Amino acid sequence: MLKFTRRAAIGGVMSVAVFAATQGCLTAQAHAEGVHDVLNGLIASYSEHAKEGMSNKSVSELFEKDGFRDYLDAYPVGGLADGFVWKPGMGATFTGPYSKLEIKAPFTDYIPLPEGPVLDPKKTYKIGFVFHGFNHPWLISLADTAAWEAARHPNVEIEVIDAEFDDNKMGQVIDTWVAKKYDGIVLWPSREAPMGPPVDRAIDAGIPVVSVDRRTSSEKISSEVLGNFYANGLQEGLYLKEVLKAGNIVLNRKDLGSTADSIRTGAFLEVIGNVDGFSIQGNYHTNSQRTLAFQSTADALQAFNDISVSFNTGGEEAMGALDAIREAKRLNSAPDGKKIIILANDDAKEVLKEIADGNIDMVSPYTPLIGDIGIRAVIKHIGAKEGLNEAPPKLIMTPNLPMITKTKMVIEGVETMTPDEWPYAYGPAVN
Amino acid sequence: MLWLVLSILVLGALTSPHYLSALNIQNLLRNAALVGMLATGMTIVLVTGRIDLSVAANMVFSVIIAVVVTSWIGRELGLRWIVKGNTFAGSPLIFVVISLLTGTAIGALNGIGVAYFKVASFIMTLVSLTALRGLSYLATNGAPFYLKGAFFNWLSDQLWLGVPVSFTLLVVLVLFADAFLSRTVAGNRLFAIGGNETATLYSGIKTNRYIVASFALSGLFAAVAGLVFTARLKSVEAALAQGYELTAIAIAVLGGVALAGGTGSLWRVLTAAIGFSAGLNLLAIWGVPTWYQNLAIGAVLVLAVSLTRLNHKN
Repeated sequence: MLKFTRRAAIGGVMSVAVFAATQGCLTAQAHAEGVHDVLNGLIASYSEHAKEGMSNKSVSELFEKDGFRDYLDAYPVGGLADGFVWKPGMGATFTGPYSKLEIKAPFTDYIPLPEGPVLDPKKTYKIGFVFHGFNHPWLISLADTAAWEAARHPNVEIEVIDAEFDDNKMGQVIDTWVAKKYDGIVLWPSREAPMGPPVDRAIDAGIPVVSVDRRTSSEKISSEVLGNFYANGLQEGLYLKEVLKAGNIVLNRKDLGSTADSIRTGAFLEVIGNVDGFSIQGNYHTNSQRTLAFQSTADALQAFNDISVSFNTGGEEAMGALDAIREAKRLNSAPDGKKIIILANDDAKEVLKEIADGNIDMVSPYTPLIGDIGIRAVIKHIGAKEGLNEAPPKLIMTPNLPMITKTKMVIEGVETMTPDEWPYAYGPAVN
Repeated sequence: MLWLVLSILVLGALTSPHYLSALNIQNLLRNAALVGMLATGMTIVLVTGRIDLSVAANMVFSVIIAVVVTSWIGRELGLRWIVKGNTFAGSPLIFVVISLLTGTAIGALNGIGVAYFKVASFIMTLVSLTALRGLSYLATNGAPFYLKGAFFNWLSDQLWLGVPVSFTLLVVLVLFADAFLSRTVAGNRLFAIGGNETATLYSGIKTNRYIVASFALSGLFAAVAGLVFTARLKSVEAALAQGYELTAIAIAVLGGVALAGGTGSLWRVLTAAIGFSAGLNLLAIWGVPTWYQNLAIGAVLVLAVSLTRLNHKN
């Protein structure tokens, strides 16, 4: 049955744009300005083709087995709030309150709030920011940006709590803030399902709640600041298709059922699903852990002598895979003496260094520097409640970012960036 | 222990206008209900001189199996007890029965391994913990099941005279469990086994069956805790409640239960569960970061164990 949806409409329009781009009708500058829309167009186009069928049996079997279609269809893809156009170079530079590292955050001009008191200057607004993982560089950077944004407003008090990857504890933290009558809550949920009820309880108590990066199961949530998982996986597939036509792939994936795994891996498989030369040789869940990715890649290298590609859903996994490949002295052990292609997400500084050195081939940036958007969104929701401003949209998409490669390339209308052109990398500096 | 709880409540009242609010006390009691149930089951095993490290894994696994089996029964009966692909909307009665049976059966298996196959309880239940976590992933394929329905709302949110249903349930269960432990021959024998197993055996008591029963009861309490826990989150998935077995042990120790076995009072453990939750809640109200909370828990535990040992000496 034919269905007309907004997503299909956007997809159709974007596909035309992509077609035009590939015909050379758009300049490189236009690619840079419209990378969000170009990537959305490609997402729509590859998704449609994958729905029509995948000719690659190895890919389609995995795609079916893990039910990627359900996840991908549920993940929103769309335009940016208020017609925002992101350009490389945008954003503020500051020192992270927690990491003490120099940070350039890309989206500080998105849903902007001027520095100084917010809403009613006579009032002090209490905002809770709860997340997991003060022991993880990506997550510390997320907290850095949230705390930085709060510090720009003298009448905003922020309480940052690490729930230590315990969903129940995160729920209790939210319940405590409800009891303390906080003005707003921002959260980074590890998993969707268990965080719906506490968010609903906060909303029922009249407290605006915004999630960043990952989603909750709450339908009442005030806003969701969504990352660009779909564009991540898509670009890993686009790059691979560009540089290789056939080969065996080993997958290092995140937790089964996590948004990051289902959308990134699903999007990657959508892109390569109609390239018959690829074969999924190994499929591991290494749960964002470098040590597990090292182990699984080492095992795969023992088991197979013709691996061409290491696909990784995160930077930690990519570094683990690279370490294992280097330790086994197998970097150039792909068929015909070629290098094993390593695909990554998450633009940590150490990943970018490995790209510059030619060890990791590409990375799709997935910036943690979005906590500030969550804080601004929740402040605007508080303002809307007090009748001081319009509420921000429920779905706040973050801009799709172009992939980073060692040398500049143009892949299906998307101009890649080089490590030295990317000021937004997070985490400790690497010599 | 009662003094500690009262001190925390007074300190909370003096330092925060929100601490003694009805909403906060209800939150506190809901948390106490969960950890209290796990600690109660753990205590029944600890008094025999054994330990059960599988309680948290069992708590999650029993609910997952209840979803899987109930939805299978629904399919066989031609009823849609799973909707939207992963939302359970089946018979709560069958769900609860299967969950309790699963938890109890897992506990009994642990007990059989410990009592009849002479596997050290630490090893046996550690193996169970790992196996149950793995089986939970296999049963769910890593995805969550949502739990929808009046029963879960009732168990999670309903109040009786201002007290959460889950906490009332804990008090009722402790009442029965304490009566069993302190007023029945079977219960006294569990203490006897923990006090001196050889003497108990030589006096003609078949200790193995009592050890199995203690583990089965621990499994039953874990399953009840699982129902309370997942009802609050309206969902269940394999990765939940990692490390909660250590919290259960900590509360039992805080309640004066000897790890060597032979002594323990369920009412003290219940008070310890309230004290533990009240203390954590107070730190949360104060906005203390979780690292310091963990440090505080550790310090209080060391202090409690030291005081218990001193009392025993005196």
